[in-house]
Amino acid sequence: MKTALKQFLKYYLKYITKLVLLIHRPLVIGVTGSINEVFTKDEIKRQLTATGLEARSNPKNFNTEIGLPLAILNLPSGYGSYKDWLPIIWQAFESIFNLKFPKILILGLGVSDPGDMKYLMSLVKPKIAVITDITQRYIASFADMNKLAKEYEYFIKLMDKDGYLILNHDNQRIKKLAEFKNDKTIFFGLAETGLKNYWRGQVMEKTLNGQVVKVTENGQTTEYQINRFGQHHIYALMIGLIVKKIVLNFK
Amino acid sequence: MFTRTKNLQLSVIKQIEIRAAKYPDVISLAQGIPSFDTPACIKRRVERALKNGVVAKYSLSPGLPELREMIEISLAKENMYYDWQKEIIVTVGAIEAISAAILAISQPGDEIILPSPSYTSYKEVVRLAGCTPVFVPLNETAGWAFELAKFAKAITPKTKAILFCNPNNPTGTIYSRQQLIGLAKLAAKHNFFIISDEVYKNFIYGSEEKMFSLAELPEMRKFVIRIFSFSKAYAMTGWRVGFIHSDESIVSEILKVHDALVTCAPVISQYAALGALEMGERDVLHFKQQYQERRDLICSRLNKLNNFLHYIKPNSAYFVFPKVINHNDSFAFALELLDKIQVAVVPGVAFGPNGEGHIRLSFGRTEAQINGAFDRLERYFKA
Repeated sequence: MKTALKQFLKYYLKYITKLVLLIHRPLVIGVTGSINEVFTKDEIKRQLTATGLEARSNPKNFNTEIGLPLAILNLPSGYGSYKDWLPIIWQAFESIFNLKFPKILILGLGVSDPGDMKYLMSLVKPKIAVITDITQRYIASFADMNKLAKEYEYFIKLMDKDGYLILNHDNQRIKKLAEFKNDKTIFFGLAETGLKNYWRGQVMEKTLNGQVVKVTENGQTTEYQINRFGQHHIYALMIGLIVKKIVLNFK
Repeated sequence: MFTRTKNLQLSVIKQIEIRAAKYPDVISLAQGIPSFDTPACIKRRVERALKNGVVAKYSLSPGLPELREMIEISLAKENMYYDWQKEIIVTVGAIEAISAAILAISQPGDEIILPSPSYTSYKEVVRLAGCTPVFVPLNETAGWAFELAKFAKAITPKTKAILFCNPNNPTGTIYSRQQLIGLAKLAAKHNFFIISDEVYKNFIYGSEEKMFSLAELPEMRKFVIRIFSFSKAYAMTGWRVGFIHSDESIVSEILKVHDALVTCAPVISQYAALGALEMGERDVLHFKQQYQERRDLICSRLNKLNNFLHYIKPNSAYFVFPKVINHNDSFAFALELLDKIQVAVVPGVAFGPNGEGHIRLSFGRTEAQINGAFDRLERYFKA
């Protein structure tokens, strides 16, 4: 996409998005991390909609400076085509007057360059903020892991002050980020920790249909069958359960 | 010297292409190359990766985590659930995936069953692994369908796998759910693997919109090895990138071979594959539309030659596989076409014994090339 069009779209979509969010004031759940963002969003949405709540999540990789506003406004991308962007620009304007808007937005926030998170957090202020995992993916644009971790610090510092923070305790980098939030932090992981506010997942059995998983929270254990394979789906399940519990408490 | 390679052949398709290159005015309907360039959105993704300086180093042996994660997401949309961390490997196209799989599951002396006709390079990979290809004929009169009883008859204690391409290259046949489940039952009963090469699954024309894959069946996880390549779907043959997925217990063994063979797929091509999965969907639909039109064109041109070539209209892929009436030596016939009218086609014998007497024509090429080749063919046949 040409730079001029990109700059125009960036600011045009930003201000329309802010206006739309101001009008509808949805509950924003922000999900970020190097991996497992999509599965986590899907699981949160699955858990919430199963309870009858109306929630929308951003599709695919609509998690950047252009993609995130499009996701909030529920619009497609014109990618590199001027022609395809024209109707989208008009539809963005029309969305200001659209009365229908979901009560809950589940938004992935992608970080690939320095400053990305600060910009995305100027658009949304999540009430529930989730960090799935931090790895060396996207490290190329940063001088070192500390610089990359700074992006996630912004995520915590700029979220709703009264909001809930959900962190992966198995990841050393993420664990450290808890110091930037005083309360309402909930951890999840696979290891035994003895912590309060900690949800622990354990694989009981791998079957041909997926995994049987045990989730323990505050001494209470429940068994779940997941029809997916891999540790990341256990994380996603726990995050979904935590978010559901928080949202139902709000209600 | 060369004991391993002495019984191998350079693929007949490549042989024909090498010969064809000597004719400046040749029109080739031989190699299965899409006429399209790689979509712009994929190139932009690659440019960004180049600019960010992330393509110069090896990736992890199974591939970039973000690509494998994206592959898991795309597979889930097709009811296939595989763990990107342990069950998916990004490979150097489909052929490396097939080679690594066969080397991992077999030992010299084993037998691998191949439908005939099917993709020409399969038998060479099987031989390279020291195994024996066992050909099972497809039934031309039933639209190149496979007959389960013939497969059952071909199974011996040495059978290690059935390897097939679905949709089939060169016939464009789509194997039905019922046929595939029949094969699955045989595999489970006799304890062998099914290697399903599904590189043409995006190009299905007419009513059959979604192709069934045995990899969708949870109970077949430990028997099915599925392969996909970005080459055809996204016009990326030169990038050499694809992937393989199966149960963790199988993929962990294939990974050792993959690592020994190639270390990892080219990283720049892995970023191209990432761009393809992220943004290439519209382009694939465009290609499919174009191929369907070209399929109709090539069939209409073949209809005019029905005294010389008998064909079955393909419902998928971008090949048609007509029988050449009164010609039993397809290799000699292909060479004659090349010499006399400079049209390159692939002799049917390249696809196994049951392909003899046929030629493969690709409609992956442009309409102008198809028309040009058929103008020459009409002159040749009617001379």
